[in-house]
Amino acid sequence: MFLLPNGVLQVPGFDTTSLISLFWIGFILITFFYQTRLQSYLALNDISRGLNKLTAMKDKARKEAIDYLVNVGKAPADPTQRVDQFLDYVTIMPVDIDPAGLVGKIDHIVTTNNDRVRAEIGALLNQSNPVTVSISENLLEVATSLNMIHKIVRHFYLLGKKTNSYFTLIQLQMLMPMIIQEADALLNAVDSFKMGQPVGDGIGPVVVSRYMAGVEKRVIAKDTVMAITEYKGRKLYVLKADGPMAYVGQPGVAIKKVIEEMGVKPSAIVMIDAALKLEGEKTGEIAEGVGAAIGGIGVEKFQIEEAATKAKVPLYAILVKQSILEAITVMRKEIAEAADKVSQVLNRVIEEKTKEGDEVLVAGIGNTLGVAQ
Amino acid sequence: MSSVPGNDKKTKLLVYTIEECPACGQKTKRAFTVGDYVTKDGAKCTKCSNPTRISLVYAENSKPSR
Repeated sequence: MFLLPNGVLQVPGFDTTSLISLFWIGFILITFFYQTRLQSYLALNDISRGLNKLTAMKDKARKEAIDYLVNVGKAPADPTQRVDQFLDYVTIMPVDIDPAGLVGKIDHIVTTNNDRVRAEIGALLNQSNPVTVSISENLLEVATSLNMIHKIVRHFYLLGKKTNSYFTLIQLQMLMPMIIQEADALLNAVDSFKMGQPVGDGIGPVVVSRYMAGVEKRVIAKDTVMAITEYKGRKLYVLKADGPMAYVGQPGVAIKKVIEEMGVKPSAIVMIDAALKLEGEKTGEIAEGVGAAIGGIGVEKFQIEEAATKAKVPLYAILVKQSILEAITVMRKEIAEAADKVSQVLNRVIEEKTKEGDEVLVAGIGNTLGVAQ
Repeated sequence: MSSVPGNDKKTKLLVYTIEECPACGQKTKRAFTVGDYVTKDGAKCTKCSNPTRISLVYAENSKPSR
């Protein structure tokens, strides 16, 4: 052993530079051959953590639904077993290889499912208070959705693990933050539903309820009410889901009925609904447009578009921007305060697009929990 | 008072009910209680004693908890 002039300790036959080179060569070889395995391992860990979160969320939603059925719904017997069966119910969509008449088939299946859910919940509870029944429906829907999300994520996690499929795992890992965000929004909705508080999606019903106040209402379709009122010489047919229950109603059936069965010839249909905002857009921002402003599976939208097209009635939309979390949890101040501005926009649209003596159809679309009329 | 987690989870949302007098337009803000809903009859107006109606129910951020 001896010291070099620059002070570096040297061992004969043991070169530090060679050792570092060897380390780098080894590192490069390992990453070259095992990179995907290493990343799969990291992805598996990441997904596993997310899956644990989803498990806790779906268990919490299930427990909250059972507690509500027992404590508020006064279920006479322990509903746990029925709730567990309910969580695994499936709705089989009709075959779409022959698309003619598909919307009618979907409508039939969805209606059958909704009727069955309500009947079963009614049988589970020891009371017929429509608000409690509708809240129970919504709580079970949340629990079912979380259960389904958990099952799908678990399926791909186990499939990726079993087949060692790098791309399955990486795709799932990339989607996990969005999935967790959506699941989190669903779980947060439980609190608002339990308390019967209006949700962000209910901004349409909030606005139209102002036009229905003090006017006679009648049921126009399942869970949907309509009032006839007047604004600056125009006859308004105002409709919304029947509140304060957590209903979305059947605005498609209602609009079709008003135009085709009641023989009303509206000069315009104005629809007010919540719309998902893009990142960067402000909550409560109002957007105007044309077309049927309604979400869901597409049946209601189809019915409204068909009725409007047949009768050649222009469709106008007024949208209030919000995130998915804000849409299904208690209404934020920014959204509630947009109601006044939406009323002004609605009045302006009616004044600009129709004239005195015309008939106008106004529909407030969305979940009407905590919003009567 | 009813409260739910806010968007960022650091804040809590407090839920309020707004009662509006249809006669004089006076608005009263109070904590939400279970059973409140939009268009439900509220208390008497503090200004003109006419019956009020619930016009809005909404949540707003409380101060961030440390």
